[in-house]
Amino acid sequence: MLSRTAEYLYWISRYMERAETTARLLDVGYRMSLFPNPSGYNNEWESVLSAAGAIEGYKNKYDTIVQKHVEDYLFFDESNPSSVYNCILNARNNALVVRTSFTPESWLAINKTYQEILKLKEQKFTKSDLPDLTEWTIEQVNLFRGSLSSLLRNDGYNFLFLGLFIERADNSARLLDVKYFVLLPKPQYVGGNIDNMQWSILLRSLSSFRAFRWAYDGNITATKIADFLVLNNNCPRSLSFCIQNIVKHLTNLTCSPEKVGRIYNNLKDLNTKIQEEKIETIVEYGLHQFVTQFIRKISSVDNEIHKEFFN
Amino acid sequence: MFNEMYQSESVIRNHYNNINDWLDQMTSKVILEKNAEAETHFRNIGITFSTNNETARERIIPFDLIPRIFTYTEWLRLERGVIQRAKALNAFLADIYNQGEIIKANIIPKEIIYKKKSFEPSMFGFSPPRDIYSPIIGIDLVRTGPNDYFVLEDNCRTPSGVSYMLENREIMMRMFPDLFHNNRVTPIDDYPTRLLQTLMSLAPIKCENPEPVCVLLTPGPLNSAYYEHSFLSDQMGIEMVESTDLFVEGKYLYMKTVDGPKRVDVVYRRIDDDFLDPLCFNPQSVIGIPGIMDVYRTGGVNICSAPGAGIADDKAIYIYVPEMIKFYLGEQPILDNVETWNCEKEQELKYVLDNINELVVKEVDGSGGYGMLIGPKSSKSSIDEFKTKLSTNPKGYIAQPLLDLSFSPTLIKNQVEGRRVDLRPFCLIGEQAQLSSGGLTRVAMNEGSFVVNSSQGGGVKDTWVLAE
Repeated sequence: MLSRTAEYLYWISRYMERAETTARLLDVGYRMSLFPNPSGYNNEWESVLSAAGAIEGYKNKYDTIVQKHVEDYLFFDESNPSSVYNCILNARNNALVVRTSFTPESWLAINKTYQEILKLKEQKFTKSDLPDLTEWTIEQVNLFRGSLSSLLRNDGYNFLFLGLFIERADNSARLLDVKYFVLLPKPQYVGGNIDNMQWSILLRSLSSFRAFRWAYDGNITATKIADFLVLNNNCPRSLSFCIQNIVKHLTNLTCSPEKVGRIYNNLKDLNTKIQEEKIETIVEYGLHQFVTQFIRKISSVDNEIHKEFFN
Repeated sequence: MFNEMYQSESVIRNHYNNINDWLDQMTSKVILEKNAEAETHFRNIGITFSTNNETARERIIPFDLIPRIFTYTEWLRLERGVIQRAKALNAFLADIYNQGEIIKANIIPKEIIYKKKSFEPSMFGFSPPRDIYSPIIGIDLVRTGPNDYFVLEDNCRTPSGVSYMLENREIMMRMFPDLFHNNRVTPIDDYPTRLLQTLMSLAPIKCENPEPVCVLLTPGPLNSAYYEHSFLSDQMGIEMVESTDLFVEGKYLYMKTVDGPKRVDVVYRRIDDDFLDPLCFNPQSVIGIPGIMDVYRTGGVNICSAPGAGIADDKAIYIYVPEMIKFYLGEQPILDNVETWNCEKEQELKYVLDNINELVVKEVDGSGGYGMLIGPKSSKSSIDEFKTKLSTNPKGYIAQPLLDLSFSPTLIKNQVEGRRVDLRPFCLIGEQAQLSSGGLTRVAMNEGSFVVNSSQGGGVKDTWVLAE
């Protein structure tokens, strides 16, 4: 497989995953905005922007943080590199180049999504349309992921899924962090009703609410949710699940065992740590710090993948 | 005036009877729906023109639902004629890059060959595998009567359009399966396989691989034929590479893969000569593979088509193709040339200037229907403008009579109307010479227009060759 092809495949699934995360983040903001907002809390839209890593870009463009502008900026804005629109455009431009390396269905899924978002972009939206946009995005990304199931299980497949799980690991960590951006200013709220309510919104936005109920009995507590989203190997969005899959698709690569070995060595410790760690220890250490370190580590793995395979 | 479907106003040609019945039972509503379906399909698969502005909607070529049909007998003659021509063009290239017999025999003056920009001096004395310079040739044909076909031009470099030929058929089979149950249409979907076989049969001398590694070299996504590049490489199961994916080391060409370098035997290039090798052709070029020409000349890789193959489809060389056929093959040309005046010659220029109202004047290096004058359809001012151009730069122009291109029934606003068409079939020459069982029919969608180019409002049709 061409190095360039591998790189493009990797980025296609990163972009598609990111499109979904951005849409889900908007949904988090939307749900939070429907609940009373006790004074002293950060603006929920600001935390959404922070989690999307888009706060700076947004502030360069707008003076005030209001839902309409956040929606525009995160969904359609061409100047925001992580907007759903740009993610889909980039995925599509990459797919145009490597369409011969995956199935016609995968290309169709991406290209149809692109054709539709062009139309959506021309329409006018009101606040209450946001859930529809989120739903549409998730549907489109699912269509793409579904199309991958008919792929040959070769290196291309593994690069696609490496991209997917690197992006998801990063995104799940960021979504977890939104919670912290919302709550940090007033520590006395930690563990309160509002705290738990917001945790459950987070679960819903990760489409994990029911799954959580299956996995844990009794009350919804912050510790249980953190355990679920960080350490639970059965939760397909947990950090631990992502790491396991990164290791799996990395070691499944048949090309260049020595390159695979080098990247694996860097990843090994994180993998072991996350499999053995107790959630109490992490919470005690500080979830925010833990998550920040995790994001940094994922980024260094990403750099190595680029260096070893795509150059 | 020749109409492909109607023998006279009331008589339908036999081989169009089924289509006529089919058209009769189609309501305007169905036509509208099918047109929309075709357009959606073409957009979804992405068979579009790309534009530099990535966010702008890409254009698609108008597709006409009514197929253009050839009988087996009609096609047989075209097939023989096109293959004959393709063989002669390759023989011509082998000759002028080696002994130059045709020049010694005073059939073609040497100036018009060796002074042309498309002549490639670095090819002199080198013979590519099987002496094939141009393995894929697209011949543009027009028809003016039941048995009257003329070759408008030869395309020996990187003829495009074959993806339209294949996709037009795909969409027709998908939308109107019954049509294919009721008509015996020769399939064309084996074209990519045949193309791959052709390329593999042209492996370079030093290739030891029984299944040579072929790649398709594209300039990238901004090229207007990019869809075709990815389509063909996909159908052939070969890598589509850009020049940055390739590099020369030692005596061989390699592509960069995740496993490390992989040797490449045959490059089906869809980029121009100028961008192949900055060391050899254009030092300013940022695209290209430094050193590939050395590997090529020492038999480490084959480049299809060969650098310098473009001289064979030069508009000034075109005039001599019938002579080439006689000279190299000892045969009479099966397909006729259009009578052509070479404005470089003083007498012919005078004739052109005197009769410009009846002639079509074309730039020697022009394409896409740009930079041409259709005398009978032009205003006095544009004719005068061309007269000035001709007098100042006679070398740059040729002139031909305006041919009465055949009409093919075409759906215009749900009504069947006659529109002019041409045809580009694709000829493959490797171990054997063969013609696609069909081709690309382009149609001038505007009433009365003679210009079929997509850049000038032309559309396309599915092209059928009926089985024997």
